[in-house]
Amino acid sequence: MKSTKIIFGLFILVAIAQLLVPTKMIYDQENTLKKGKAYKFITEPIDPSDPFRGKYIVLNYEISRYKTMDTTWVRSQEIFVYLKDSLGFAKIDTISKEKLNSKKDYLQTNVDWYDSYNKELNINIPFNRFYMEESKAKPAEDLVRNSTNLNELSTTYALVYVDGSNFVLNNVFVDDVAIKDAIDAQNKN
Amino acid sequence: MKSKFRQELSKLIEEDIISEEIGNRIDNYYNNNSRNQPNRLLTIFGIFGSLLVGLGIILVLANNWDDFSKIIKTAFAFLPLLIGQFIVGFSILKKKSNTWLEASGVFLFFAVGSSISLISQIYNIPGNLSSFFLTWILLCLPLVYVLKSKTVFFLTIVFSTVYACDLGCNFSGIRATPWMYILIMALLLPSYFKLLKNEKSKNTTALLNWLFPLSLVITFGTFLNSSYQFELLIYIFFFGFLYNIGQLKIFQKLRIAKNGFLILGSLGLLITMLLASSHYFWKGNFDYSFVNTKEIIITILIVLPTLSILYLNKTFSKLAFGNLFQYVSIVMIFVFLSHFIDDRIPFFLTNLGVFILGVSTIKKGVDSTNFTFLNYGLLIITALIAIRFFDTDISFVLRGLLFIIVGVGFFVSNYLMAKKMKSNR
Repeated sequence: MKSTKIIFGLFILVAIAQLLVPTKMIYDQENTLKKGKAYKFITEPIDPSDPFRGKYIVLNYEISRYKTMDTTWVRSQEIFVYLKDSLGFAKIDTISKEKLNSKKDYLQTNVDWYDSYNKELNINIPFNRFYMEESKAKPAEDLVRNSTNLNELSTTYALVYVDGSNFVLNNVFVDDVAIKDAIDAQNKN
Repeated sequence: MKSKFRQELSKLIEEDIISEEIGNRIDNYYNNNSRNQPNRLLTIFGIFGSLLVGLGIILVLANNWDDFSKIIKTAFAFLPLLIGQFIVGFSILKKKSNTWLEASGVFLFFAVGSSISLISQIYNIPGNLSSFFLTWILLCLPLVYVLKSKTVFFLTIVFSTVYACDLGCNFSGIRATPWMYILIMALLLPSYFKLLKNEKSKNTTALLNWLFPLSLVITFGTFLNSSYQFELLIYIFFFGFLYNIGQLKIFQKLRIAKNGFLILGSLGLLITMLLASSHYFWKGNFDYSFVNTKEIIITILIVLPTLSILYLNKTFSKLAFGNLFQYVSIVMIFVFLSHFIDDRIPFFLTNLGVFILGVSTIKKGVDSTNFTFLNYGLLIITALIAIRFFDTDISFVLRGLLFIIVGVGFFVSNYLMAKKMKSNR
């Protein structure tokens, strides 16, 4: 009986850990959604899938390319991307190899590669996956492509809450309509 | 099966080969034994059922139901987890049978995976597949000890292998050495040792004897980042290490088919030695800029335990061609060093080594009248001859004749062996 109690006690600890990890994940995200500032990142989606987490669209951000004369960037090098709001959309204020003493929101990420011909630094933007219902991921990609083809002024952006270095990708919009609703509307037509 | 056994038993009693009393005792013995054994079929189906349901839940949730609100989706993320935990807790408290523990453990394993994946999905949490696997494995690893579940043990090995390959082979865009894989394996070792000690002859332990080395063989390459030549040499040391683990006392009385370390080590040694037996391999310049501290440390960590096992098994005091497989990886260190003198020396020595391995295996087969060893030895020599044909200028006639000779060798040796077996009887 004693050993059963010990085993059960140990199991309770394991179970708590199993519950704590997803709860902590939720807490961190909700906290950022509550406290963070909302930024709009101009983007372009394409759809792949993950064997366990389902279909998602990969978001290629406009700000993932940054003009700089500094050529001393190394692949996978850790960088701090400081953000600013410009005409309603997120832009890069500055990119630093060290953390700056600044109150601006930033993304802690890494270098993809440096394009020495165009003098452009390509950076990995961490929130590049937006999970969607499996039937909607491919239409989402087509929808964005078609709307950009028809109207050059059409914009697709990701709404991201950033609080310090924490971030939550909240939604993706095509011309201010949530991508999910845009697909629903398209299906109804 | 049982009724057939009973029929045979009553036949033996009828024909006065055994007395009725002995017959009854045998019958009672098998009856008691089978009563004490848990229902194996039920356990297997329970495990498969949980496996399928668990995987099914992951897939259904991966659909990402758009029509549900975030709160409902979050509740769905926790539901399978809570159900799994409840059933496992219930099975422990009510001291349910092994079937319950195994099946509920497997269900909980997948429930943890589905829960983390759904939360990542709801909140679009970034992170590649390997980091997701790692969290999943670490959260379920304690179940191996708490539930003594062998299926969770197997799943942990399989998933940590996938984790190591995903991270080490750059499947998700980031290539890094999967050091955490070593930690996971180290955490599993105490449970494995316990099984080897207490349940050595069981099939589940035999499966682990295969899964452990197989996982190591698959993931070993992800730890190396050197040139082809050095990596192949390190692989030879690694397979030598596996082979020697298979020679440990704890495995010695085991049937060879249940000793994955020995078989994988032997096959691996043979293949890597054959690859290293070409003149081209030794002729190329060894580029030492590819030798990093990591590779040196890994080599030391493989060679030192190999030497200690050889010492423990007293192999050095009975050095002979017969047990060359045990110390061939160590001999290869000296063979490698000999390339500083002339590159033809290691080429010659490696070929001689493979040849002796073949001959010694044939001898072992003949001595113990074992067809498996005999033919394995012959295959080693055939492989050596076949592979040499690619990098030597021997005439077609001679090549053909050599093949005929080896082929006839196969027939003759097997025939002689069969004859020997007959006369022994």
